[in-house]
Amino acid sequence: MSLSTLDIDASIVYPRMTDRLDAYADLVVRVGANLQPGQTLFVNAAPEHVDLARAIARAGYRAGAAFVDVRYVDPHVRRAMIERGPDEALTASPDWQVLRSKSLDGNALAMIAGEAEPELLADLDQERVGRARQVAVMESTLKLQNARAINWTIAAYPTPGWAEQVFGEPDVDRLWDAIAQSVRLDEEDPVAAWREHTARLRARCAQLDALQLDGIHFSGPGTDLTIGLLPESRWVGGGIDTKDGIGHVPNLPTEEVFTTPDARRAEGTVRSTRPLALGGTVVRDLEMTFAGGEIVDVKASSGADAVRGQLATDEHAKRLGEVALVDGESRVGRQGITFLNTLFDENATCHIAYGSAVLFSAPELAGLPPDELRERGANVSSVHTDFMVGGPEVSVDGVTRDGKRVPILREDVWQLT
Amino acid sequence: MAVDVETDVKAKNRLERYAELAVRVGANVEEGQTVFINAQIEHAPLARALTRAAYSAGARYVDVTYRDQHVRKAMIELGPDEALTHTPEWQKERGEAHNGAASIWTTGDPEPQLLGDLDGERVGRAQMKELIEISRRQMVDRVVNWSGVAFPNEGWATEVFGEPDVERLWEAVAFCTRLDEDDPVAAWREHMSRLDSRAEKLNESEFDAIHYRGPGTDFTIGLLPHARWMSALFHTASGRPYVPNMPTEEIFTTPDPTRAEGTISSSLPLALLGEIIKGLTFTVRDGRIVNVDAEQGAEIVRSQIASDENAARFGEIALVDGTSRVGKTGITFFDTLYDENATCHIAYGFGIPEVFEDDMYDGMNISTVHTDFMVGRPELEVDGVTKDGKSVPILRDETWQLAE
Repeated sequence: MSLSTLDIDASIVYPRMTDRLDAYADLVVRVGANLQPGQTLFVNAAPEHVDLARAIARAGYRAGAAFVDVRYVDPHVRRAMIERGPDEALTASPDWQVLRSKSLDGNALAMIAGEAEPELLADLDQERVGRARQVAVMESTLKLQNARAINWTIAAYPTPGWAEQVFGEPDVDRLWDAIAQSVRLDEEDPVAAWREHTARLRARCAQLDALQLDGIHFSGPGTDLTIGLLPESRWVGGGIDTKDGIGHVPNLPTEEVFTTPDARRAEGTVRSTRPLALGGTVVRDLEMTFAGGEIVDVKASSGADAVRGQLATDEHAKRLGEVALVDGESRVGRQGITFLNTLFDENATCHIAYGSAVLFSAPELAGLPPDELRERGANVSSVHTDFMVGGPEVSVDGVTRDGKRVPILREDVWQLT
Repeated sequence: MAVDVETDVKAKNRLERYAELAVRVGANVEEGQTVFINAQIEHAPLARALTRAAYSAGARYVDVTYRDQHVRKAMIELGPDEALTHTPEWQKERGEAHNGAASIWTTGDPEPQLLGDLDGERVGRAQMKELIEISRRQMVDRVVNWSGVAFPNEGWATEVFGEPDVERLWEAVAFCTRLDEDDPVAAWREHMSRLDSRAEKLNESEFDAIHYRGPGTDFTIGLLPHARWMSALFHTASGRPYVPNMPTEEIFTTPDPTRAEGTISSSLPLALLGEIIKGLTFTVRDGRIVNVDAEQGAEIVRSQIASDENAARFGEIALVDGTSRVGKTGITFFDTLYDENATCHIAYGFGIPEVFEDDMYDGMNISTVHTDFMVGRPELEVDGVTKDGKSVPILRDETWQLAE
């Protein structure tokens, strides 16, 4: 996929806009979703995100939205359903919700992350919690995302519950500061900072694509892992383009360049370098062994069962779907905070994901049916979990088709020029 | 920080019991029904309690959709013209899905003046008309057992009392909805049967018109021979009883939209589309409002009655006497669900299909608006006028004059 047309063509004007919330909302709308005049802006948020949702609505109309459609999804309503509802409610995808999801086609979407009560579902029957998924709604959104028919973004809003989880106290201000720093809101001109940042990430992708790598090798304490890449694998970072050429930044923050691995080729061991938040459980010191592309052994000092449970979800969950490189410049990584939220934590350092393949980085494959995808080496599964494997002690090399090693990261410093 | 655990538990119980009353008596949710909850985002605690109560009552699926007045404000203030009346396709689909389902909506505006500084004409125009039409049609077809309940909150309490005394507002709400009774369900049964018997007496009187006389008011409105007086104990077409408003103290009918003459003045402020309307006076000729005066907010009313060709005609007249629990509180709630039950009121716009026997809606006013405004007060005299022109007192000094 071509990244050359990526153009964050936003000029945020800051007369009197001293409010951090409004500045953030503008960033979400103009850089993240890159809303085009005349588009509908869909916003998905939790009730606790109401302040940001409202600011995004204002920013959306200011940026020329034809209509801003905010939907609040309430975790307490979900809890009541899991606790008291009939079985059929758990998987119900009401027609109108599917239709709303289909209406995203050709429009902009901003999703707000940041759980207000991360433990809300912890005391419920976990089997029912796991089953409670609006599959048809999710699939229809995912299909449009993969078809690059939506310019979308995910951004986080700090809540007391999340802050409590991260800092041990509900210090929302501190979490705000950490988020602001991560998304470059502390810059005098955040948009210019983002333009520069995404250009740098795109340049890295170009460097990596030029090498036409056949594999990536991670080595460090407890880690010696080689992951194969596909001929179709491209490196993506600093945003993606819709099929109509609207460049958007799907994750705020983003520090990664990522690609699609060959699900059939992964050999060796890997030790995770940061804690992983997995549906209310924190997994620590995760170690995995790979053979023939498959995870054959899982160890962890805590939370191993949560990982094993996830790997048992379907027969393809044990194969890799993403490889991502992040260097020590990362604004997330430099803060040394474990955010217990993938949106942030995966941007702290290099990570890999087991489960479904990201297809933005293999555009030739996107749109193929699941069987064919698997046949061509791109994994299809109902899970996708990123875990962090990078750090100053982990070296990353590219492996070229003729077996040569090319240093990519040493002591968290980018080696390619 | 000291926490009064007992009060906290009591308050939680009250919310759960309130939600249960709304689900079991208000919407009267049937086992296996889908339940739609349409709430303002600030009403999330009530919406959540309603969801719990609905699932406990056997709901198949509970669908909560929050609306956000601030998002609406952004649209009116900053959005293009077309956005104002836009109804997203999914909203229509969701509206249609109410067919055969139960539905509960919530009131209690946390910021009643939020839209006060905006262009009143745009505020009045900002309506999802297509969605309203769907729900009007469902009312005519009587395919939804629905109810409205209020959620006490700081902003609303401040509007009412001048201070954010939510507890005081909760007590008023509990009193008005009979939640203070030992057995609220039994109390509601008794209450509705008393209102029904009053309605029966009015039906037996076969009045041809109602005449209002009082300060700023001398107004006669014609009745339709096939329109009944009734209480708000409704039945769906399939026979499911439900109470669409909690509280309810009124008996009402749908008038003849072609016969109304005179001048009628409001007796209470009216919260409408994010503004407070005060001192409203209508001049009416041949059933149609021809002039709107108000001390405050006239523009919104004018815009609303111009929104379609029948919006300026009347759809409801309702009688409430001094025994009303809402009236007895002496509180102006700035919320139609409450204030219309404090005293007599009239609505311009859409009629009430329920009052017509055998689905004969001929002559009922059809419009996309339905706005109740309060006209009752002690000085207001209400008479029934018989076909031969005789006047029969119905209300004097807010006391019911007909036999019960």
